[in-house]
Amino acid sequence: MEFNWDSLDTWTVVIGGLSAVAAALPGCFLVLRRMSMMGDAISHAILPGIAMGFLLTHTRITVVMFIGAACAGLLTAAFTQCISKYGKVDRGAAMGIVFTTLFAIGLILIRQSAQHVELDPGCVLYGSLEYSVIDMLQIGAIELPRAAVSIGSVMCINILVITFLHKELAISTFDPALATTLGISSVLMHYILMVVVAVTTVAAFEALGSIIVIAMLVVPPATALLLTRRLSNMLTFSAVIGMLSAFLGHLGAVAIPPAFGFQATVSSGMMAVAAGALFCCAWFFSPSQGLLVRLRKKGGRLPPLAGEGS
Amino acid sequence: MFCWIQRSLALLLSLLLCNCEDAVDISAEPPGSGPYRITATTGMVADLVRQVAGERARVEGIIAEGVDPHLYAATTSDVKALRNGDVIFYNGLNLEGRLTGVLKKMASGKPVCAVAEAFEGAEDYMIKDSGDEMDPHIWMDVAGWMRALGAVSDTLRSYDPRWEAHYDERAGIYLETLEKLDDYVREVMQSIPSEHRVLVTAHDAFGYMARAYGVEVHGVQGLSTEAKPGLKDIELLVDFLVEREIPAVFVESSVARKSVEALVEGAKAQGHVVVVGGQLFSDSMGPAGSYEGTYVGMIDHNVNTIARALGGIVPVGGFRQWRERTQ
Repeated sequence: MEFNWDSLDTWTVVIGGLSAVAAALPGCFLVLRRMSMMGDAISHAILPGIAMGFLLTHTRITVVMFIGAACAGLLTAAFTQCISKYGKVDRGAAMGIVFTTLFAIGLILIRQSAQHVELDPGCVLYGSLEYSVIDMLQIGAIELPRAAVSIGSVMCINILVITFLHKELAISTFDPALATTLGISSVLMHYILMVVVAVTTVAAFEALGSIIVIAMLVVPPATALLLTRRLSNMLTFSAVIGMLSAFLGHLGAVAIPPAFGFQATVSSGMMAVAAGALFCCAWFFSPSQGLLVRLRKKGGRLPPLAGEGS
Repeated sequence: MFCWIQRSLALLLSLLLCNCEDAVDISAEPPGSGPYRITATTGMVADLVRQVAGERARVEGIIAEGVDPHLYAATTSDVKALRNGDVIFYNGLNLEGRLTGVLKKMASGKPVCAVAEAFEGAEDYMIKDSGDEMDPHIWMDVAGWMRALGAVSDTLRSYDPRWEAHYDERAGIYLETLEKLDDYVREVMQSIPSEHRVLVTAHDAFGYMARAYGVEVHGVQGLSTEAKPGLKDIELLVDFLVEREIPAVFVESSVARKSVEALVEGAKAQGHVVVVGGQLFSDSMGPAGSYEGTYVGMIDHNVNTIARALGGIVPVGGFRQWRERTQ
């Protein structure tokens, strides 16, 4: 089958790219705070938030979903903190307990209400980029995919939050003790970050699914961290890498399998594959910390992160 | 079944913008003299449309052989094929589970026909399960597929009225073949000893076959393969196999073999030998270009496989030679 690039492909890449950027920005702080799996936890834990938001209000308005998800994100963070503090288990284990339990509750809620409304767990997990591309919204004279509008707004909000709280987020990330002496509540920053991650996940999961969102939260920032040691560069690089993953992923899904005689595949999955491939490239070929450079230097120590104390 | 979130937003949007998405514009422009494009979902539907349209249209089926339509998710090229098609045919009744959202979205401004929903008296013909869900597998009854044939030729005739005679002629020829096939299936099924005329398969795809040809059917999974079987379902079926001394169960080409093999193992543990009687084409046909890659070949294969495994008599050479002999 011949391959022609057209508006559908463009929109797929735009929606995928916007989702990737929206996720990669807060993802940078998750990676730097050594809590990448919090993204995993939250993207699963929002399920009961969505389901309960619906069951409580019996309306299916997105605002309710966002609030439900934000609450679920806060709960995940709070429960994890509680369990690891008072239950004497490490944070990874505490997270594992919290998000699986919340996810299971979400699944039960969905199954129970499925007789009346078609809540589809499959859609939450895998998303449907292909569907979101043709679901158009008319704004004045222009027609945009609804997903592009919602994920685009969330991306703008994320950029605003990170711009305004740049100093506070950075200090509380690298040196919580210093943050406290400066009068910045690192606990507050932690919860703000959790809410941002939860809201981003809700906006992105319709297109990407809550599993691929994790890849976009973690992989582009991790790749950027291999390329730079400055926070501002890392944010920019991770955004660019996110967009690149969307483009390469979609190309890989629609153009590469047919070239080898296979059926075209689903784009969101290939986005995660592309992000992984970019990570591998950075790992090997990064000019500052790549495997090749380090082998040449032999035993060269990694330079500390810019702004990192002690 | 597509995401409730998407559905809710569509609902909200239609309220806000007062746009009526359900109004399908059937008065599309008639095609020119060259062949036009038809996009179909499953292989069965594509085959049926090809039989009627012939050289007049290029038919593209988007779900490949061996792929389960219940679980199929659309790729960008499918969305493009649906958008670029002049006419769209799909099975309907929720067979194309995850694709339904895309289908409904692409359905405005061009003729769209759900072959299993669009014929006269469809309401009375349908089989419903206990949960009031309609059974989409109407091709399993050849008479049901004849009704779908009517729906296809009606759609093409009203879309392309200048070629009415062409469609009528082709539909008539194919209808004759299907009538013969119907007789053949009935004859072969009746040759199975009545106490063994029980079909146990991976999922409930054979309900219409059961009703039309007097077979009892049991599936490990329900009408859709989306819900996975529970342990209880398997236990009950194993007890049933042992009690009724059923000699064979069947796997399906588009569904995992595991659940059916569990039945064989379970029966073995109770001292009753059940064999896997063969692979049936349920929701997907055989490879494109082969005899099993057509609707007639698929039904022929299924019926012969069932009859052989359950002790019936299969005419030499299957349907094709049987038809030559009876003419």
